[in-house]
Amino acid sequence: MRRRNFLKFSAAAGLTPKKCLLPFASDLFSFSDTANLSKVEARYYTKLPDREIECQLCPRFCKLGDKERGYCGVRENMGGTYYTLVYGKACAVHVDPIEKKPLFHFLPKTTALSIATAGCNVNCKFCQNWEISQVRPEQITHIDLPPESVVKTAEKNNCPSIAYTYSEPLIFFEYMYDTSLEARRKGIKNVVITGAHVNPEPFKDLLEVVDGVKIDLKAFNQDFYTKYVRGKLQPVLDAIVAASQSHVWLEIVYLVIPTLNDTTSEIRQMCRWIKKEIGPDVPLHFSRFYPYYLMKNLPPTPLSTLESLRNTALEEGLNYVYIGNIPAHEAENTYCPHCGEIIVKRMGYIIEKINIKNGRCALCGQEIPGFWS
Amino acid sequence: MAKVIIIQTKNIYNSKEGINSEKLNNLYTRGFHLLTGFKDSKSSIKALLSTDKKTGIKINTIGGRSLSTRPKVSLSLADYLIEGGLEEKNILIWDRTNRELMNADYRLNMNQNGIKIFGTDSNTIGYKKKLTVHRSIGSLFSSIQSDIVSQSISLAILKDHGLAGITAGMKNYFGSIHNPNKYHDFNCNPFVADLFDAPAIREKHRLTILDALTVQFHKGPAYHSLWAEEYGGLIMSTDPVAADYVGWQVIEELRKKHGLPSLKEENREPLYIKTAEKLGLGSVNPANITILREEI
Repeated sequence: MRRRNFLKFSAAAGLTPKKCLLPFASDLFSFSDTANLSKVEARYYTKLPDREIECQLCPRFCKLGDKERGYCGVRENMGGTYYTLVYGKACAVHVDPIEKKPLFHFLPKTTALSIATAGCNVNCKFCQNWEISQVRPEQITHIDLPPESVVKTAEKNNCPSIAYTYSEPLIFFEYMYDTSLEARRKGIKNVVITGAHVNPEPFKDLLEVVDGVKIDLKAFNQDFYTKYVRGKLQPVLDAIVAASQSHVWLEIVYLVIPTLNDTTSEIRQMCRWIKKEIGPDVPLHFSRFYPYYLMKNLPPTPLSTLESLRNTALEEGLNYVYIGNIPAHEAENTYCPHCGEIIVKRMGYIIEKINIKNGRCALCGQEIPGFWS
Repeated sequence: MAKVIIIQTKNIYNSKEGINSEKLNNLYTRGFHLLTGFKDSKSSIKALLSTDKKTGIKINTIGGRSLSTRPKVSLSLADYLIEGGLEEKNILIWDRTNRELMNADYRLNMNQNGIKIFGTDSNTIGYKKKLTVHRSIGSLFSSIQSDIVSQSISLAILKDHGLAGITAGMKNYFGSIHNPNKYHDFNCNPFVADLFDAPAIREKHRLTILDALTVQFHKGPAYHSLWAEEYGGLIMSTDPVAADYVGWQVIEELRKKHGLPSLKEENREPLYIKTAEKLGLGSVNPANITILREEI
């Protein structure tokens, strides 16, 4: 199914987001007044002589002279002080099913208020949201939505969680962190949808204030990260381990791109690493690639490839392996690893059945890891 | 054989008017003469440009008032172009944003008549909606560069750059795309060369003029008076690579004079200039460059 047809299908099936409060890319490159960007001092940077700074948020360690912006395009050195330009400047605000993130073991059948700002600290050639992730904040429409307003919007829309998503939320760290604290005070959960190209200290601090994290592991070799992501693999692996060792719920998504990261040997190696470092119970989603942005020369991932890789992951002993971007596929369901029965039946973002009680399979009593209520 | 002109004068600044207008005009007049071989402006401009086409002068104003292409420098060039036969309504001085232009003391003008001065973020301008994918580049071009102008002059400030090594004529075009922050890895190599090679630039670029009246030879791209020297010069060439190469050598000379290590020793040699030669964009080999240096 082509991407456009998939979207049409999804819409017809009622699988699209429930509510769109500020659609991203609705008015792309209409330009916001640069005077309307935020000027909030950034965290995680070092001041250097001669008005230079070194950013320590992500493994790029951007060393910037006065008036320069980091690779992310949303943090700027102004006279030797580093500022975030996107604090409270949301360019996308949606109410989404949590399954869209995807988070399958985290408050299923609920919605997450989902927000983003412009910017990203990598440049994936296959980015599906490049219209907001690969632009500067002044190049796109945004609204003023400070942390307390985000939380109020979540409450108003009966969202039990807030998702920081779409672009790369780590680059709006300060906004995300403060919003998470405010949300927590109001009993609302926080989930982060990230590529996890981040340094240990800020990520550790972030894990203290959020409840769930979905990490995009884009390949299991550095060469891919160098060529197609423009980032480093090891910090992502370190972040995955750090998340798994915290109280935070973790799921991993692997976008399968034909010919580039889809060999059985690479997937087997990755699954062995996951099982050894994290354990067999972390949900792993193999997601279908659609040609977009700078990678239009490849076809969508064949279904047979996704099914084959899923089988490999199951063979390696992972318990919860899903296939994503193929609506109504049987691998959207959660199966009890003990009795083999369907315990969460999904149809796109619609949950048809949940057979989990008190965190256990309702049919055989097997403990099912997750954040169920 | 590439020809590069270095035309200099002493005391380009005075306390009364900042840049001495007369001296600046003389730099342009003599510089164009040396570059084209023609003494009169009409012949010299005709040798370089089509006089009936919309002409963009891409300047660099990120450095604010202290270290940008100053209004007097670009307007003096525009005057010379008009004297040479271009219509003033067909001349557009531009950069990324109106804010940066105004911070560098430009007065915006989008009127039908007169020399136009505005940024890509002006109403009705903006970036192209379709990505240009060319070699290592995937970017949206400013409509100014891609649609409005038919021929282009890079009037760039010459300065040291902490990431790129130097900023000169080719890197100036980073201001013609929406995402230059994505192209500063590896000392901007090969990104500067790859961007310049894109048709929207390569097919329209006619002339490089490096504003070397004051050269920031260390700790750029921001202004630091300690490492800025009055050089009083313009560097001109129709070969964009040779112009940048000569500009690079000027910065190296100034660094050496002030006891600073070379850019190579600081691991920020602007190798994108050599990459540009490999792409056939111009010459970097000194044996293939004739430098005409004159002080007036």
